[in-house]
Amino acid sequence: MPRSLKRLSSGVAGLDSILGGGLVEGSTYIVQGHPGSGKTILANQLAFHRAASGENALYATLLAESHERLFQFLSTMEFYDSAQVGSRITYVSAFQTMQEEGLDGVVHLLRREILRQKASLLILDGLLNARQKAATALDVKTFIAALQGHVAFANCTALLLTSSNFDDGSAEYTMVDGVLELREEAFGARSARRLRVRKSRGSAALPGLHQCEITDRGLVVYPRLEALLAHPSVPDEPSDARTTSGIGSLDGLLGGGLPVGSVTLLAGRSGTGKTSCGLHFLARAPLDEPALHFGFYETSARLERKARALGVDLSPLLASGHLQMLWQPPAANLLDGLGQRLLEAVRHRGVKRLFLDGLSGFARAAVDPSRLTEFFTALINELRALGVTVLATCEPQDVQGVLGVQVTLAPSEIASIADNLFLLRFAEQDGRLVRQLLVIKVRDSGFDPLPRDFVITEQGIELSVRPSGVIKAPTIKAGPGDLPL
Amino acid sequence: MTTILVVDDEFLITDLLAAELEDQGYRVLQAHHGRKALEILAQERPALIVTDFMMPLMNGLEMAQAIKARPEYRDLPIVLLSGAQGAIARRHPEIFAAVYDKPVELWRLSEVIRTLIGPPLGPREAD
Repeated sequence: MPRSLKRLSSGVAGLDSILGGGLVEGSTYIVQGHPGSGKTILANQLAFHRAASGENALYATLLAESHERLFQFLSTMEFYDSAQVGSRITYVSAFQTMQEEGLDGVVHLLRREILRQKASLLILDGLLNARQKAATALDVKTFIAALQGHVAFANCTALLLTSSNFDDGSAEYTMVDGVLELREEAFGARSARRLRVRKSRGSAALPGLHQCEITDRGLVVYPRLEALLAHPSVPDEPSDARTTSGIGSLDGLLGGGLPVGSVTLLAGRSGTGKTSCGLHFLARAPLDEPALHFGFYETSARLERKARALGVDLSPLLASGHLQMLWQPPAANLLDGLGQRLLEAVRHRGVKRLFLDGLSGFARAAVDPSRLTEFFTALINELRALGVTVLATCEPQDVQGVLGVQVTLAPSEIASIADNLFLLRFAEQDGRLVRQLLVIKVRDSGFDPLPRDFVITEQGIELSVRPSGVIKAPTIKAGPGDLPL
Repeated sequence: MTTILVVDDEFLITDLLAAELEDQGYRVLQAHHGRKALEILAQERPALIVTDFMMPLMNGLEMAQAIKARPEYRDLPIVLLSGAQGAIARRHPEIFAAVYDKPVELWRLSEVIRTLIGPPLGPREAD
């Protein structure tokens, strides 16, 4: 059996899973990114994390910046612990040594400091300055080789921080064991920070650009969900059992309720009653199905009020903890951050019944919409494998937006995320607008495809058991594969 | 001339202190770590040392302890400028004449230097 490499946990949320379990002990990494990209935070976070577990770190700079400024700025971060500074983490400047004695002098100084401090982590900030100091590319190579030699001898892991972006063929790039790249890019009026592992010797890292953000906790990285959950974390065990949709007469249409562990897409324009259906779904959660509301529009206080107007009292469920409401304020959400928050909430309470109010909330959080289909597929597959029965809403036009499909709905793409598809719409009957529900698809099961009128009253949703008499629903571009939206 | 030795691995700080103290009329020597400072002491006789704590090869406390161990330097005042290690240094009042937390205000430092060693003397007066 091949030996596995010993790993150091980084203390940077999400980074260890991207690296395949953490940094490889005794390895040398380059962390590159423009000023402000978060590499200093990442490196300090790592140093304080290692210090908290009883190890020593040496933080050497080749920069003209004062350490005091660094401490002032770090002191706003939760991980910063001034008691570690000068005890477990030593900050030294090697700038003057580099000026006076060149790169050889720096190597000499770092070697002695690593031993003197018994450091198992070396951070060297300002590799670009070393490169500028070096007369030739060979000097840089010699410098890094000497540093790597000493670091490996002391069984020390090293991070070399640089604001330049090395190309794949540069001496630095070829010599080190791993390269992490941090970048910040503009997408319209928003900017997004992303991390990529450009090189990872001896172990596979999750590929691609992973979103990250700088918070009070330091750098937080959200592994790309479709890469992290390329296969669901638990085996998928489909069940034939049914569970209530929350609306009795709808269960009848479906032949006994929603299949357990299935995903139902509830499409309908604003005001057609999607959230009301969802509140029924949550309110009738059986005792063995802990429920979760994950929404983008209404706060839990507003939802509780809305439910009360439907004759549904959610407060006992909320008080007993059987139901949790997680409202996602729409500003500046990160797609993978949302996915992670949702899955954590599901796993934490063993949620089996989920109402996702507004799939478009995810779509809006995506800086790169081309990955939405893969993202939803991975998210939904994980929820299915966890045995969660999902009801998710979207606006009809968003069925397309959500799926990243431009013009018409491709049935295969709906199939990739939804087992069942219901449509809510207004139809005109004798000069009046009435609400109608149409079951368009139920996976592996018979269903009644005729529309049913329904009304929303103070006693909740009342769905007619008989098909609607007159159908004059507006349709959009009827063609093969299109849906009567 | 009254000489002051400034010891800090961060050249920004040594440069800034040196410029200020030279403006006041002191002669200033610079060292970037404790060992370098000891080398300078073998040839020079400063009236006072201003030092940082966290430095490579030999930190400020180790350096000050090495200096104070020699009888001829027992009365040499050493002022420590430190961020996080001020508390450690204050436990050694026998070694440090004064301890300041960074960022230090220059006028405050100048004041304590004057209290400890007086105003700078010209070349002739010092002889």
